[in-house]
Amino acid sequence: MTASRPVDIFEAYSRFNTGKRVREDQWDYITIPTNALAMKEKYQISFDDKIIPEDDDLSDRLFHAGLDMLVTTGFYNTNLGRVMYLTEDEVLEGIRKAPRKITIGSGKDKVKCKARHGNTNRAPIIEAGPTGAPVSEDIFPAMIQSYVQEPVVDALVSGVLNTVCGESATTNTPWEIRATLAEIRYVREACAMCGRPGMGI
Amino acid sequence: MVHAGHRVTDAHECSQLNELKMDMTGLNMLAGWTVNGDTIMVEQMPIFGGYCGGLEETAICDVATTLASFALFSGNFHLDGPIHIRWGTTTNRESLQIAAHAAAAVDANTDLLLANQYYPMAGPCTEMCLIETACQAICDTGSGRELLSGSAAAKGVVQDKTTGMEARAMGEAALTAAGMKVSDLNEIIEKLVSGYETRYNDAPAGKRFQECYDVKTVKPTEEYLQVYDNAMQQLRDAGLPIKH
Repeated sequence: MTASRPVDIFEAYSRFNTGKRVREDQWDYITIPTNALAMKEKYQISFDDKIIPEDDDLSDRLFHAGLDMLVTTGFYNTNLGRVMYLTEDEVLEGIRKAPRKITIGSGKDKVKCKARHGNTNRAPIIEAGPTGAPVSEDIFPAMIQSYVQEPVVDALVSGVLNTVCGESATTNTPWEIRATLAEIRYVREACAMCGRPGMGI
Repeated sequence: MVHAGHRVTDAHECSQLNELKMDMTGLNMLAGWTVNGDTIMVEQMPIFGGYCGGLEETAICDVATTLASFALFSGNFHLDGPIHIRWGTTTNRESLQIAAHAAAAVDANTDLLLANQYYPMAGPCTEMCLIETACQAICDTGSGRELLSGSAAAKGVVQDKTTGMEARAMGEAALTAAGMKVSDLNEIIEKLVSGYETRYNDAPAGKRFQECYDVKTVKPTEEYLQVYDNAMQQLRDAGLPIKH
């Protein structure tokens, strides 16, 4: 049946809230491996020794195996202990709704991220940074600057401040919030120092 | 004060949980960003050798969670990162193969925006770290991804062991690989992976940012520039005509 409309976060929550109760260990150790193996067999997915696939039919079968995996298995909410489902049409409508291009950053430093198909001549966007790795407070701005100053870099992905004002940025404490905002300020400062104040982060 | 937080055009990141799971913290963040019209990046790093199982099963879960980022969580782009349960990296042979197959599958059937993230094993100021990073960049570019996000050298777990030089290698390799024949890229990747995958048990730890750069001038050391040049020559020797 055709989808009434794409699923959004609020519809997802409603479905989670009324979904089937499942124990998390059953989900992890039974549902996921059983269904993944079933999809592998159903769609005859078998890789050869090539790292990047050169078999278009294999790519198509893998796409449909993944789509089937999502529809058949559903998604698990760890707090509610429940599973929600969406139909294949709803997944396809969600894909249609997704953007084919987005703008990252602002002003002269913004970049457009557009869909590539296959290995086109247009290179991917280069988002550079510590990628969540821990960084000392005293060198944080300099380290970020080391990425922003690279001409090949289009956008910035931050690291994690180990401390803020000398205090540990412990999860679920006010210091975590302060550290997060300090990271953003340091990143903005580094971008400005390199003459790229609008760079996306 | 205008830029105290994220702008609409900055990536607001929310991570799924392994595998095909989400929590209320994630849903609540996504609710706010969705209503505000923010740019949303949904992350998921499927674990090879974890709940999914082997290569193909992990790739199937990778495609499923990629689709969920858009169809279920209103993401604008998906950040992948298949990780090896033993090595904790994204640059190993199995992770590269899973990421490339998942990206090619989604790329061939949709216009979705796909990203991947970088966790090489070796630390900064080593040729192995730069080769690992470049190898994944070749793989991600060749399989049609739209955005490369990295690089967290030393598996992203050691304090201060990341620098801009690794990102330079990632970017230059991607620029060079774009447009090349996939069969040629596969040959290059095979040479590079075969060269570093035998060194996982004694991978070079590398140096901290403070030892790789002059922290005041933010200039890389002569030593690191030489290491970079050596690594780029190895890429050329493997068949990637990299210029810088």
